[in-house]
Amino acid sequence: MIVRRVAGFFDERLGSNAILRTALRKIYPDHWSFYLGEFALYCFIVLVATGVWLTFVYQPTTQDAYASVVALGRSRPIGYLMRQVHHWSAVVFVAAIILHMGRIFFTAAYRKPREINWVVGVLMLVLASLTGFTGYSLPNDALSGTGLRIGMSVAQSIPFIGTWVSDLANGGSYPGPFLLPHIYTIHVYFLPVAIGVLIAIHLGMLFLQKHTQFEHDGSKVIGRRFYPDYLLRTLAAFGATIAAILVLASLVEINPIERYGEYQDWTVPNPATPDWYAGWLDGALRLGPAFEPRIFGHPIPAVFWPGVVLTLLAFVLVVAWPWIAARFEPDDELHDVLVPPSAAPWRVGIGAAFVTAGIVLTLAASDDQQSRALHVPVTALVTLYRWAFPLGSLAVGVAAASFARQLRTRIDAAGPQAERVVVIRRNERGGFDEEAVKPA
Amino acid sequence: MKALLLVIAGVGALGAAVSAALHANPALAGLLAAAAFAALAVWAGVAARELHAPSDLSEPRHAFATVPASEALPRGGAVSRLWALTLGAFAIAGIVPLVSLGRRPLRAGTPWRRGARLVTPAGTPVRADDVAVGGVETVFPEHAVGAPEAAVLLIRVQDGAVAAPPERRDWTPRGNVAYSKICTHAGCPVAIYRHADYTLYCPCHQSEFAVLFGAKPIAGPATRPLPQLGLDVDHDGFLVARGDFDGPVGPDRWDRPA
Repeated sequence: MIVRRVAGFFDERLGSNAILRTALRKIYPDHWSFYLGEFALYCFIVLVATGVWLTFVYQPTTQDAYASVVALGRSRPIGYLMRQVHHWSAVVFVAAIILHMGRIFFTAAYRKPREINWVVGVLMLVLASLTGFTGYSLPNDALSGTGLRIGMSVAQSIPFIGTWVSDLANGGSYPGPFLLPHIYTIHVYFLPVAIGVLIAIHLGMLFLQKHTQFEHDGSKVIGRRFYPDYLLRTLAAFGATIAAILVLASLVEINPIERYGEYQDWTVPNPATPDWYAGWLDGALRLGPAFEPRIFGHPIPAVFWPGVVLTLLAFVLVVAWPWIAARFEPDDELHDVLVPPSAAPWRVGIGAAFVTAGIVLTLAASDDQQSRALHVPVTALVTLYRWAFPLGSLAVGVAAASFARQLRTRIDAAGPQAERVVVIRRNERGGFDEEAVKPA
Repeated sequence: MKALLLVIAGVGALGAAVSAALHANPALAGLLAAAAFAALAVWAGVAARELHAPSDLSEPRHAFATVPASEALPRGGAVSRLWALTLGAFAIAGIVPLVSLGRRPLRAGTPWRRGARLVTPAGTPVRADDVAVGGVETVFPEHAVGAPEAAVLLIRVQDGAVAAPPERRDWTPRGNVAYSKICTHAGCPVAIYRHADYTLYCPCHQSEFAVLFGAKPIAGPATRPLPQLGLDVDHDGFLVARGDFDGPVGPDRWDRPA
């Protein structure tokens, strides 16, 4: 068989069959929540495949970018589909990463020895968001151009180096001739290569450290063999991910740039809201105080607080989480066994508060549309969200923690779960009868 | 059953390819491809289930063997303080090429000059009575239509309604008042004018500016008024600028002149 001959070819030169055997016979714990990260991985594959295709039709210059993307949909219908699939996968990619991260968080999979992989994962979330942002900026339509303009304002607001960063990106004052070509290089080269390398590190570490599990015996990995059992399951996840993206891309139009028109710095679509994962930043900019102090005669622009300080603060908190959490349950053990969320109400509370804060900021990013729909002045909504950001998060956090505590009490009261024992007997007709046995 | 799923997957893939090649509706190609991948997924799921493979196989976990750092990194090696200092020197030297990439000369002001006529994006000059009271128009200097950061909102209010300090009393002939259209918060176009309360409104972050009071910010995150463009009327009755804006256009940055 051809596959065996190829394997043999490499084995004689590299001794690779021993590695192959280990990899194929490896045991992986199985749980539905372990597939969330795989969904993200498969989105990335779709993104690279469609993205490479798109590079052959896109022109990364301020003059031609918009026209090249519009022409893409007109000249060949498959071009429209490619763009739809690319954009939808990006949206699902970030969502899958965040859900995966939620699973890791609430089951405490980030504990020693997996702190490094948590950090790698957080970096990938940041890079994925940046790739999304630089990607939807490329068509140079009115909406994305405005988003890019806002991004440049945030970059400009950094003390000392802001103007340098902005000039570097633009090749001069905004809007410079180099901005789109730079964004393009970053989007199609630096970011995807970085994500690819981090994925390799992420999976490499998973392979070496072995996957966590819910089964209580931490001395061994309990689960399914990779080949053929797990391979078939992950193939199902692969097919399901792509099918879902294709259905969305075929039926739901995303980012209709033809309707927005080409970007000019004096036109903007109204309402103007970014892709969902950038919503919290836009919301933060809307809620940010009109506060612009001067330091040594230099202004610290209002966008600096929500755009840079809040973002960095959130990043540092999330990156440092395994070490922050280790202060709550100090031990130096290796943790390979996952805990159900209810086992640690404090973790549920902190996680729920963090998620709520993100949701409040994301909601704030469409306050103008809510104002129009509900006939409430937008300033009232801003006030509401400004209070909800700290207080709502706190309230939801406390409520979630107390709910988890009740759940834990109920589980503890029920005692250890008895295993169900059944006796199977062959009957006269040749079939099988099942009879439950009461545990002793 | 399994064979049928594989046939569906194959037919779906080919069908998607054919419909794309024939330039059919892209949704058709997309849905056929989706059907192909979904069939593949179901096939894999069914095949996995039919394996009846055990889910409680196990292999031992081992903690990695640790080696004391003193053993892994013996003292007296190549790493010395001098070595670290040298490395630092290389790092500092590397900053120079990096810094040299940024900081291009800043654009000095905008193309607005004394006597420059206000024209619409289509290039039509604007007379003092062209915009009706309550109306608004985006205008550019006649020699630089569409130039970055030159966009101006020309708003017509009742003559004398603008509360201007004495030195700017002449800046709003016949109720024509002009401000930079680029928001001082994050650079979006301040695209919406509400005549009911003489307010300019930015659709990006909901900053509001009071048109009758020098476009000072009254709500939202903006901290600085929109720069004003003094207006005049030339011999032929067209609106012209009295000079450049009265302040820097667009969002603030560290080295913005005060």
